[in-house]
This record gives sequence, structure tokens and C-alpha cells, in this order.
Amino acid sequence: MSEPAVLVRDVFKRYGRRDVLSGVSLALEPGARLGLIGPAATGKSVIAKLICGLEEPDRGDIRVLGEDVVGKREVQLGPLRRRIGMLFQNYALFDFLTVERNVAFPLEQRGGMEADAIAARVAERLKAVGLSGSEQKLTGELSGGMKKRVGIARATVADAELVIYDEPTAGLDPVTTQKIYDLLTADQLRTKATVLAISSDVVALAGFVDEIAFLYQGHIIYRGPAATIADAPDPLVRQFVRGELEGPLEDVRKATGERDG
Amino acid sequence: MTWVRTRIENLGAGVASVYRAAIELWLVYVGTIAGLFRRGRNSPRGELTRQLYSIGNKSLVFIIVTLGMIGMVMTYEACMQLSRVTGDYSQVGMQFLRLIISDMGPTLTALMLATRVGAGIAAEVGSMKVTEQIDALRMSGVLPIDYLIVPRFLASWIMTLMLSVIGATVMYAAGGLTAQYNFGVNPNTFFDLSQIRPRHVILFLVKASSYGAAIPVVAGFCGLRARGSSEGVGWATTAAVIGASFAVITLDFIISAAALFLTGGDL
Repeated sequence: MSEPAVLVRDVFKRYGRRDVLSGVSLALEPGARLGLIGPAATGKSVIAKLICGLEEPDRGDIRVLGEDVVGKREVQLGPLRRRIGMLFQNYALFDFLTVERNVAFPLEQRGGMEADAIAARVAERLKAVGLSGSEQKLTGELSGGMKKRVGIARATVADAELVIYDEPTAGLDPVTTQKIYDLLTADQLRTKATVLAISSDVVALAGFVDEIAFLYQGHIIYRGPAATIADAPDPLVRQFVRGELEGPLEDVRKATGERDG
Repeated sequence: MTWVRTRIENLGAGVASVYRAAIELWLVYVGTIAGLFRRGRNSPRGELTRQLYSIGNKSLVFIIVTLGMIGMVMTYEACMQLSRVTGDYSQVGMQFLRLIISDMGPTLTALMLATRVGAGIAAEVGSMKVTEQIDALRMSGVLPIDYLIVPRFLASWIMTLMLSVIGATVMYAAGGLTAQYNFGVNPNTFFDLSQIRPRHVILFLVKASSYGAAIPVVAGFCGLRARGSSEGVGWATTAAVIGASFAVITLDFIISAAALFLTGGDL
């Protein structure tokens, strides 16, 4: 059996006095598509950053694409990170570069490609996300949805072995959301990349990924098929997915309690 | 007892935080020096030229005006005091020049640059940090220090040297004009370079180089520590101005003390 593309084992992470992750374990087989859901501020993006080595766990092991991530220096992590595509929740586009240069950036830094080939690849990606004609715009001239699409083009431009999408469709209308997920699906089928997608739009996400994991209070408390997530046996997951106010989810109870009085 | 325990915990956390910051500052410095030797694919094309222009050309008027005015005030005050005691202005220009070369020229130039350049670097790097652009750089296998700090380090080092020369010259010239027009000091007496020794020039170059290297490292370090949102960038900018100014003054003290020690007090 092949080694998982991502293996997160018993990871703990604390910010200040708050335990964000309390022993999270997660494995993704090569070519798998996993969705990660959970209430706001439960550490979903933290897991993404830990996998990329952008943050260091307090405890636990992380192996990505056959390499240990924990305890490595920045210089050592560079080659591994070039094999990972990442869409950041807040786009993280370079505001000093044009749209075209933003998308070309991972390819330019990776090296080994002629300028013409990079330009053609960038044009193809921008066309795929519906942004042809915006090549020379600065990111400050774009709407939130357009920035998100530039971020997706940048994350997928290098055909990375592992792609992490942090809220790939937040801020997009339903039609664009479906188009984006169709594009991501086609890309994944073509490249056979391993995908971790974090999203609050569970319905749209379920159509893209094979499995969904539910992160709650620092633990992955459920992992199951995406198609049947709304009927998951865990009442916490069911309440979250169905968006019900009544139920065992503490965050919802606190929020409604505060609002009601 | 809980109150005492909380205070002790806070004190310990403060000490640990300062210790961590010192280590991180050192790592940024070492990383920048290492980055100088790694320069190549990681450095953005044309960035050094852009930074030379931004740090040097855009500071030129600021340096000329401030150091010119300081030169006028210092000479005026020196001549005024001498007029009350001996009325002999023959040593004013010579001593003023020694003071400018061995201390005031590079130090005042660097203090001015610490405010303008330090704040600029911290704001740029800090805003990139809080908008995750630095994480995006890292995801492309780029070392943020190589990409952001190294070009600024080189530009600041070169331009601090050049601006120190220009600033010192303007300061000396402005002082000479003040002495001539307000106290009738003969320009030939004031602009007397005969007492300047190579050690003064070496001290000038050492100080200017050290300041030019310290400002971007301290400012970049503050930018890289920015957290949260615009408030974090504001904190980084303030910390960079304070930190870079403090670094200049501390280096001035250390280098001056070392120079006095090495020359046996005969500077």
C-alpha cells in the first residue's frame, strides 16, 4: 500500500491560551479529494498551514508527499512547497504584481520553463477561470470574486501534486461556484492531484470531494462519504450541515443564546 | 496570591518574549547576510534599482534640508559661545569638520533615514505579512528574507553611505556659510581640511556602513512580526522607527567607544 500523500498525526496547536488543535489526525491517500468543514475559527485554515509548513505544530508529526514537514528549516521546505498549490482564504495575491505575473509567479520561481510556455500556461489558466482580458490589471482593481479566481488560477497553474483550497468559492455567486467546482474537478481528474478543500458551503463542496471530515473543538470528530454527509450518524455533523439552530453544537447554542438575551 | 502569581507569569512572559524577539532579530540578520550570497533566482528583477531609487533618491531632499539646517544651528551656537568667551573662531571649522566626519554626518543621516526608510520598509513588509502575501511567497519556495529584505539591505547600505557623504558635505557647507555671514569667519579658515586623518574617514565609513545595514534589518524584522490587520502594520511601523533609531544610536556608541579604545583616545 502506498504512503498517504498527507499524514497528520496527533497534532496539537495552541495560540496564546487557546488550544486550537488538540490531537488532530488525518490521512489523505494520493489522488483523494477530502473536504474539511467545521464551525468558524475551529482551526481549519491552521491545518492547511501546518500541512504546508507555514506554521509549526506544538506537538505531533506531519508527512506530506513522502517528506517530514515538522522541524525543517525554510530553505529545506522550499522544494516541497513547490509541489503544493495553495489557495489562501483571503487570496494573498501580490498587490505589486499584475494578474498575469501573479499567476505566473509559481512557475517563474520553480524555473525550468521558457517564458513563452509560462505565458501560454497562464493564459490558459486565466481563460479557465473566466479572466481573459484581465492580465494586465493590478489586483487592487479586481472585485473579491475576481481575486478568488486569480488565486485559483495561481494555485493550479503548476499542476501541483497536492492542492489545498481554503474557501475556494467564498464570495462567489452560485453559478460561478458551480463553474469553479467543475473546473477544479476537471483539473483533478487530469492531474490526479491530492486535494484538500476547506469550505463552509457544504452542499457545493459535497459535489466536489469524495469524503468530508468535520473539525470540532480541536478534533476531527467525523469523516465519511461526501454524498451522505447530510445524513451523517453524528448529530453534531447533521446539525452543522443542515444549518439547524437547535442541537448539540455548542457554538450555535452560545451564538443564539447571546443573540436572544 | 493569584494576583502575585499573575504578575510573575506576565513578567516571565515578557522576558521570554524579549528573548524570542532578540533571537528572531539575529536570525533575520544572519538570513540577510546569507541571502546576499544566495542572490539569484529568488530576487525580483530590477528590485535593487527600485530600492536604490526609493531609499536614496527619494530621501535626498529630506537629508539635504535637515542636515543643512542642523549644520547652520550647530555652527551658529558654537560661534555664539566662542564670541562670549574668546572671540577666536579659527578652530571652529576644523573642529566642526572633525565632528561631522567622525560622528554627526553619518549618525544624523542615519537617524533621518531610520524614520523615513525604516517606516517605509516596515509598512511594506508588515502589510504583506498581514495579508498573507509572505505566506504566498513561501508557498512558491521563495525565502521572504531573500525576496524582500536583501534588496532593501543592499540599497540601504549603498545609499546610507552616499547620503552620509552628501549630508556631511551639506552640513559643513551650511555651517561655513553661517559662520561667514553671521560672524565674519574667513572661508579659508573655516574650510580647513588639514586636521582630517585617514582614521576619521575610516570611522565615517564604518559608521555609515553599519547604520545602513542595521536600518533595513531592524525594519524588516518589525514588518515580519506584524500580526492581525492594519493595527499590526501600525505597530510594526512604530516599532521600526523606534528600533532603527535605537540601533543607530547604540551602534554610534559602540563604534565610537571601540575607535577611542583602538586609537588610545587620540581620535
